[in-house]
Amino acid sequence: MNKVENITIEDLKKGSDSLYKLIYDNNRDKFINFARRYNLKDDDIIDAYQDAYIVFYNNVVDGKLTTLTSSISTYIIGIGKYLIFDKMKKNNKTINPDFDLSVIRNEDAVISTFEIETEDLTTEQELLKQHFKDLGEKCKNLLTLFYYRGYTIKDILELGDYNNENVVKSAKSRCLKTLKERIKANLNS
Amino acid sequence: MNKEDLLYHYFSKSLTPSQETLFYDLLEKDEAFKAQFEFESNLKRVIREDENKKLKTKLQGFEKETTKAKSKSIFNYSNLAIAASIALLIGWFGYNSFFGTNYNELYESNFENYPNTVYTITRSDTINAIERQAFVAYEAEDYKNAIVYLNQLDNNVKPYLDFYKAQSYLKLNKTDEAKGYFDKVIAENKVFVAESHWYMSLIYLKEENKTEAKLELKKLIEGYNYSKEKAKALLIELD
Repeated sequence: MNKVENITIEDLKKGSDSLYKLIYDNNRDKFINFARRYNLKDDDIIDAYQDAYIVFYNNVVDGKLTTLTSSISTYIIGIGKYLIFDKMKKNNKTINPDFDLSVIRNEDAVISTFEIETEDLTTEQELLKQHFKDLGEKCKNLLTLFYYRGYTIKDILELGDYNNENVVKSAKSRCLKTLKERIKANLNS
Repeated sequence: MNKEDLLYHYFSKSLTPSQETLFYDLLEKDEAFKAQFEFESNLKRVIREDENKKLKTKLQGFEKETTKAKSKSIFNYSNLAIAASIALLIGWFGYNSFFGTNYNELYESNFENYPNTVYTITRSDTINAIERQAFVAYEAEDYKNAIVYLNQLDNNVKPYLDFYKAQSYLKLNKTDEAKGYFDKVIAENKVFVAESHWYMSLIYLKEENKTEAKLELKKLIEGYNYSKEKAKALLIELD
């Protein structure tokens, strides 16, 4: 894989560090060049680029993007524009806080179906995060494959760590149960 | 199908239409089901947050590598040492040509092709098909065809078209044509004006016309924010 224009969604989903780096380098200068119009500091531009890259990647693994109909830079720039406006709005800079961000989404039709989370975690989620971190590696891996990478039970079975689909299913249920019990214990203590 | 399976299919995006009806029905009426759904949704969000953090660290690592590689290529000590030795060998004339303003290098280190930020290419596009073809060609770096298509469109309706014509000519090394269009964009004063000043300064740099390059940079610095810091740095180099 040498050329960025040949990259498919499947390549992105499988992912490798060299592929991520290739995409990073290939779109970095284009993004910086685009973002300069918003009069941001260089560090903030790089930060926005990285966040836009992450949102793009999340939408790929989550199945919101099933085929690449535009170049990757078009998606990342579209997301970046949204994130920059959101940041400006929160910092009360330049744009009116009443500014409707959906305008940006409509302008950039390619990202109109994307999920762009800019809200912080809720208290409940923070607690969940804390206990998820303390789970065993096997549980963390299994839950990440299912909830984040979009693997089905069958896909997980194919990785070879489990004997059959029922074993995967019950392992997943056990992990969820453990997590719930620990949260409950924490709330009761 | 039990409730656990319903949730499994929801998160695997594999609910059938009838399962979907049942799913939303339960979500509305069954408190325990709703609580379990919220728990799993929250977990999904938490895992994503966790993975995002890991990816961010990875990207920050890439950024360090890239910045390091870039600064190395701009100021390569060993190359400079070799150049200095050669200059000493071939005398003053040679020295002057090595250490005078290296326009080409300045151009190369500052030039970046402007990305398509105006037209979103979607698969279902049927209206404005010519514009779509123009920007598909532009993104594919097929600048010859990009110009062919851009020329068929009306710049009065979409004032950014001339800017992308200029960009395409620039990539084809047709600087006179590029200059003509950048000039037009600046004169019309609607969109991409600051950007055009920046690219005009780079063209003059390429042509080794220091005076005009500086003039464009000054206009950019005084009137706009786009690439301001870069323009300032370039101006210092040229002084």
